[in-house]
Amino acid sequence: MTMTQQDAAAEAVPASADGEGHLAEHDATVREAHRRAIGDVMLEVDNITLRFGGVKAITDVSFNIREHEIFAIIGPNGAGKTSMLNVINGFYHPQDGTITYKGNVRQRMRPYEVAMGGIARTFQNVALFRGMSTLDNMMAGRLTKMHGAAERAFDKSLADIPVVNFLTYPFFWTADFLMDAFYWGPYQKEEERHRRRVEEIIEFLEIVDIRRTPVGRLPYGLQKRVELGRALAMDPQLLLLDEPMAGMNVEEKEDMSRFIIDVNEEFGTTMALIEHDMGVVMDISDRVVVLNYGRKLGEGTPDVVQKNQDVIDAYLGVSHDRPG
Amino acid sequence: MATVRPAEGDTFAQILEWNAENRGKLPAIREKHLGIWQTWTWSMVREEIRLLAHGLSDIGVKRGDKVAIIGDNRPRLYWSIVAAQAIGAVPVPMYQDAAAKEMQFVVDHAETRFAIAEDQEQVDKLMETMDLCESLEQIVYSDPRGMRNYTEDYIHSFDSLEERGRAHMQANPSFYNDEIAKSGSDDTAIFLYTSGTTGNPKGVVLTFKNLVSMGRMSVELEKLAEDEDTLAYLPLAWVGDNIFSIAQSYVAGFCVNCPESQATVLQDLREIGPTYFFAPPRIFENVLTTVHVRMEDAGRLKRGLFDRCMKLAKRVGVAKLNGHPVSMLDRFKYWLGGIFVYQPLKNALGFSRMRRVYTAGEAIGPDIFDFYRALGLNMKQLYGQTESTVFVTMQPDDEVYPDTVGIPCPGVEVKVDEATGEVLYRSSGVFKEYYRNPEATAEAKTDDGWVHTGDAGFFDTKKHLKIIDRAKDVGKLNDGAMFAPKYLENKLKFFPFIREVVTFGDQHEFVTAMISIDPDAVGNWAERNNVSYASYRELTSKETVYEIIRENLEQVNQELASDPAMASSQIHRFVLLHKELDADDGELTRTRKVRRRFVAERYKEVIDALYGGASEIHVEIETTFEDGRTGVSAGDLLIVDVPTVAAAPAKAAA
Repeated sequence: MTMTQQDAAAEAVPASADGEGHLAEHDATVREAHRRAIGDVMLEVDNITLRFGGVKAITDVSFNIREHEIFAIIGPNGAGKTSMLNVINGFYHPQDGTITYKGNVRQRMRPYEVAMGGIARTFQNVALFRGMSTLDNMMAGRLTKMHGAAERAFDKSLADIPVVNFLTYPFFWTADFLMDAFYWGPYQKEEERHRRRVEEIIEFLEIVDIRRTPVGRLPYGLQKRVELGRALAMDPQLLLLDEPMAGMNVEEKEDMSRFIIDVNEEFGTTMALIEHDMGVVMDISDRVVVLNYGRKLGEGTPDVVQKNQDVIDAYLGVSHDRPG
Repeated sequence: MATVRPAEGDTFAQILEWNAENRGKLPAIREKHLGIWQTWTWSMVREEIRLLAHGLSDIGVKRGDKVAIIGDNRPRLYWSIVAAQAIGAVPVPMYQDAAAKEMQFVVDHAETRFAIAEDQEQVDKLMETMDLCESLEQIVYSDPRGMRNYTEDYIHSFDSLEERGRAHMQANPSFYNDEIAKSGSDDTAIFLYTSGTTGNPKGVVLTFKNLVSMGRMSVELEKLAEDEDTLAYLPLAWVGDNIFSIAQSYVAGFCVNCPESQATVLQDLREIGPTYFFAPPRIFENVLTTVHVRMEDAGRLKRGLFDRCMKLAKRVGVAKLNGHPVSMLDRFKYWLGGIFVYQPLKNALGFSRMRRVYTAGEAIGPDIFDFYRALGLNMKQLYGQTESTVFVTMQPDDEVYPDTVGIPCPGVEVKVDEATGEVLYRSSGVFKEYYRNPEATAEAKTDDGWVHTGDAGFFDTKKHLKIIDRAKDVGKLNDGAMFAPKYLENKLKFFPFIREVVTFGDQHEFVTAMISIDPDAVGNWAERNNVSYASYRELTSKETVYEIIRENLEQVNQELASDPAMASSQIHRFVLLHKELDADDGELTRTRKVRRRFVAERYKEVIDALYGGASEIHVEIETTFEDGRTGVSAGDLLIVDVPTVAAAPAKAAA
């Protein structure tokens, strides 16, 4: 009796393992087949050079990011990865080179103007409003989407007549301010619309249980997720993620990878991310660019990059991430 | 105060018709969507279930087919259960956290052809079982997230099912009404698979009569009105949820609220403020612990107020609920306490509207029980099984004792087998059979309808049933008195310092106990009292720790002495183990139940010493570390005598 039971158990194990293998394979192929097709170039980075005094942070770097893709920027410490994001983000202004976003060569832009243009980001060190709840943090992310109703009416009808503009703008602005302050009329609708979108993201990221929790009290992994949520609340076309998985344990990394892929698939958001965990980078990104000392070492699909000797020498060959 | 209006009908689909006609505008079910509670009334629910029933029929569900239902407590899954029943199919709810392999057993055993799953996770598991099960043909899912890529033609979305239902309804307008008229009270309503601590799960077959009659009985007994609110957070596959969230809700017409996710249950509890609540002791324990932890952190004024008021509440609140006389001054103080402490506290916990609170499943600690009753919550224990459709005994309003499970419910006969001490019952809730398992059915159910519970118990002097242990664990002391190890162990485990305890006494002169202490609680105590220690073993050898445990045991002995049936079970000697009982060593099951026989063998020398009269023993026990390596854990254990109390039959202390 016991023998047969053991036999059955022994048989059952490989069978179920098989089943899982089959499923993982199914996942991968399905993902390939059903992803949104990678589209045209969305952001073109052309011969960018960035200097701080005598220090060259970035030298002559060019690459492009295409619509719907997950694009990774990798490189050892000090390679200029975060500087690159800051350039894209409008936080730094390069001395040379151009950035073309959605077909327009970008002039000197401030970060908020870039944000208005549909580029959102998260930070290497979590930069949330620690005393505010998850919900409020994410509502803050909607700021770029909030326009006063009166202001909008004004924009539509009167904005192109200069004199009217000059005389009436203060009036519309005051009307907006008052309606907003008293949560009245169209403002209620407007707020509801934004709240609905934020709630959708909250559900998507599975953070319903911490909706009302001040983010300062959350564990680090969840704070990172809230930060992603706040960036998503902007409904960005391009999302910049600066080390989304830094300091996470394996389980949290898996969760985060899953969310990045899900966001990419469900919302079609293009993503550029910096990440040190090579396993994650090679798994989730479509293309990778490698920087070292501010220069581009290589670019291509994860497979190609992994085989590039320069890259191996500079980065993958040296064990930075395994102390001892 | 809304009226109690039990609905008419033999099956849930029939009752639903009555509800839609007679209280169509009242809320039937709620769910939180995008942060806002959405409500469906009884007439909306009827429309949903109609559509579903048509849809299920359109994808090929026939009378007698089995439909697996897997997921959290979602309105759509509750509707699926009733929709399947409406067209004569049998729903088979499954535990949502079951692994694919466990799922496969149930799917196979119940010959399930269809499955309705909540989300991608469950669909993945079902697809895995599909390769191995022949019966499963089609899968319906509710939450579309992550499902865009599943294009297999045997997978349907809930929306497409409703779409097909709409078309089917137009083609066959009288189909639904014809179908629901065909089912009667003796038809099979549901299969509920018991989790089964030993061997494979058994499929308990319940009829509409079982569920509806028990639902009706409890609604009338407890006067459940149409304006009750409950929170549905316990697994769909558990008989309790089928009674509380379906049978009682349908019969009484009250509203069931589905939490947003498992992680938000306590928040939702607070938002909904149910009037009627059921929870296993574990939940009440967790809530109480949270309260205590938060109070420890509160300022001195608040803490002082809380402590004083709780002391008063334990004296006055419990007496008030039990109907004992209370002086005017105490009433006034309790009223003040209500304003400053009890009401705000209940509000913070979501208990402020609660009229009835039940607990069952395990023994509940008297302190926990008293805490909630002191706050004025009418908490009661009930006793039941899947096979009895929940209700066997329940505590009546004015006779609530923490250590009994009450008196038989109306219409339920209960008796105790004199030879074995096993509890048997007979009622209209008695299950039909175990599906495809006639041997087990014959073993559990006698020809004249009595069901063996497998639990040993007795009626105490107040005519209340006391459950003491699993019948097979109950032994006899040498003087012929009954020995129920778990009954004693439960009493002991309510002390904060005691983590695990194993008692011995079967075929011995007296009872002894082997105790492992709770390192957190004892460690905490040691820190506060400047007792230094370096390890668990050192902590267990402190004389002061022994002293505290000995006092605990003395207290238990005193309680035991006052109960003639238990007086002989007083604990005479005990030992504190130098290591914790551990599941890695096979001493506990993964659900932390003591594996009695194994422990008795493993600690044979210790037990011999307990009965041999030695005051110290050296033991060496092989242990397994978490990473799988093994080592030897050795120690010198002290054995200590406990004073016993002389009971009616004079018996010298050891």
